[in-house]
Amino acid sequence: MLCQNCKKHEATTHIKSVVNGEYTQLHLCSDCAGKLGYTDVFSGFGFDLGDFFGNFFSKPKTMLSGSKVERCEKCGMSFEEIVKTGKIGCADCYEKFYEMLLPSIQRIHGKTQHNGKVANVTEPDEVKKEKTKEEIIAELQEEMKVAIEEQNFEKAAELRDKIKGMESEM
Amino acid sequence: MGKWYRDFGPEGDVVLSTRIRFARNIREYPFPFRLDEDKKKELNSRIKDAVLSDNENMSFIEMESVPAFQTVSLAERHLISPEFAGPSKSKALILSDEEDVSIMLQEEDHLRIQAMEAGLDLEKAYEKAEKVEKDIGRVLNYAFDERIGFLTQCPTNLGTGMRASVMLHLPALTKQGLISRLASTVSKLGLVIRGAYGEGSQPGGDIYQISNQITLGISEKEAIFNLESIVKQIISQERNARKELLSDESYLDSIFRAYGILKYARKLTSNEFMKLISLVRLASAEKIIDIDTEKINAMIPDMQPATVNVRNSSMLDAEERDKLRAKEVREILGE
Ligand SMILES: [Zn+2]
Ligand SMILES: [Zn+2]
Repeated sequence: MLCQNCKKHEATTHIKSVVNGEYTQLHLCSDCAGKLGYTDVFSGFGFDLGDFFGNFFSKPKTMLSGSKVERCEKCGMSFEEIVKTGKIGCADCYEKFYEMLLPSIQRIHGKTQHNGKVANVTEPDEVKKEKTKEEIIAELQEEMKVAIEEQNFEKAAELRDKIKGMESEM
Repeated sequence: MGKWYRDFGPEGDVVLSTRIRFARNIREYPFPFRLDEDKKKELNSRIKDAVLSDNENMSFIEMESVPAFQTVSLAERHLISPEFAGPSKSKALILSDEEDVSIMLQEEDHLRIQAMEAGLDLEKAYEKAEKVEKDIGRVLNYAFDERIGFLTQCPTNLGTGMRASVMLHLPALTKQGLISRLASTVSKLGLVIRGAYGEGSQPGGDIYQISNQITLGISEKEAIFNLESIVKQIISQERNARKELLSDESYLDSIFRAYGILKYARKLTSNEFMKLISLVRLASAEKIIDIDTEKINAMIPDMQPATVNVRNSSMLDAEERDKLRAKEVREILGE
């Protein structure tokens, strides 16, 4: 791997460090490492990020021999790869492996139900508009049919009167 | 240059700055680590169009075109995450002129939208970040699930995808050895506190960042309210501890010694600078030494190694840089 700074020399200094409270990794040649000041301000510490995130996920039960590995159709990730990398491949992975991911999500957050803002809220034309009279009458007629079939004539008569009333208003 | 890291904001004696950050992904594209370079570039340009059409004060920067030492400087100034400073093609940054809003493209998620404010001002930072979040959401569909909220590459960000952070200067609590107890207390409340400049028992400058750790099952408002009320308690603890410390003559002596060294030294490593500036910042905020705290706030990121290089547009070796740092500090603290 070439030094990320000069892109000329081989990177010999691989710095895992924390800047501003967050983890980072840099690959530099020794010249550039010194010049960029990585010798005095960033105190490195060693842990493997893959392991760290990987721990969030419970290992899948060993696959029976011959059984096919299930993969996300969109991005091709299998659940085993998710466990290994600690990363989810795409939005569809969450759908595909939802049940398998849930215990880990529960462990990380202590909860599994979103309680914040909702995304992609469509414009108000989706909000239920008021039913027209015709629609209501059609529904009532449907109900009346059912009532007759059930031989509930009292209810059917009620509905018939209601429909008549509404029709006369139109 | 960013005013937010320099200004003396609300509770500015203890709080340096506030940040809100949203993790977002676009529905139709796989997350960054499963997305090829061409698709990343295509998505970046769609995001760029969505943002720039609504925000004239923002510019789009391809990270490939930025030299590494400048990239590190952006991280030192908190405009990008350290992870973002690492290698990868197809990363891009959208930055406001005031440097108070920045959007990282193709970091861990497609989008990391962040807004910063001076002092403790979570609401204002939230409003700014949310505005950009909505601008993009009007044009592109975010990956979202009703059950688990905004979908992110790492499940630790599911739900709101929001991290609210406050940067605190806690020299007195550090001196009294109370930070580790504080850390274990806040972790029980769903928060995490860590050094903002380097880890270890005593992070550089006694500067810490506290943020919410949980993002699922808690609303944005609750998370902010929770963080704010705990930050306010820490602030009052720090103020009490300061009062106590400042009645101690030998502590006062160490403050003035620090001031003396910063004013006259010919060479300053960033470690030594951070140790001394912490004492001087405390003295400034408590009005023991007559210097504007704003000046000191600005020095903290400005004197970091890569930022010193960027300001002088050169790649200095450590020794030259330490000399230059000392010179600049003398000039700022002198007449
Ligand atoms: Zn190099
Ligand atoms: Zn997938």
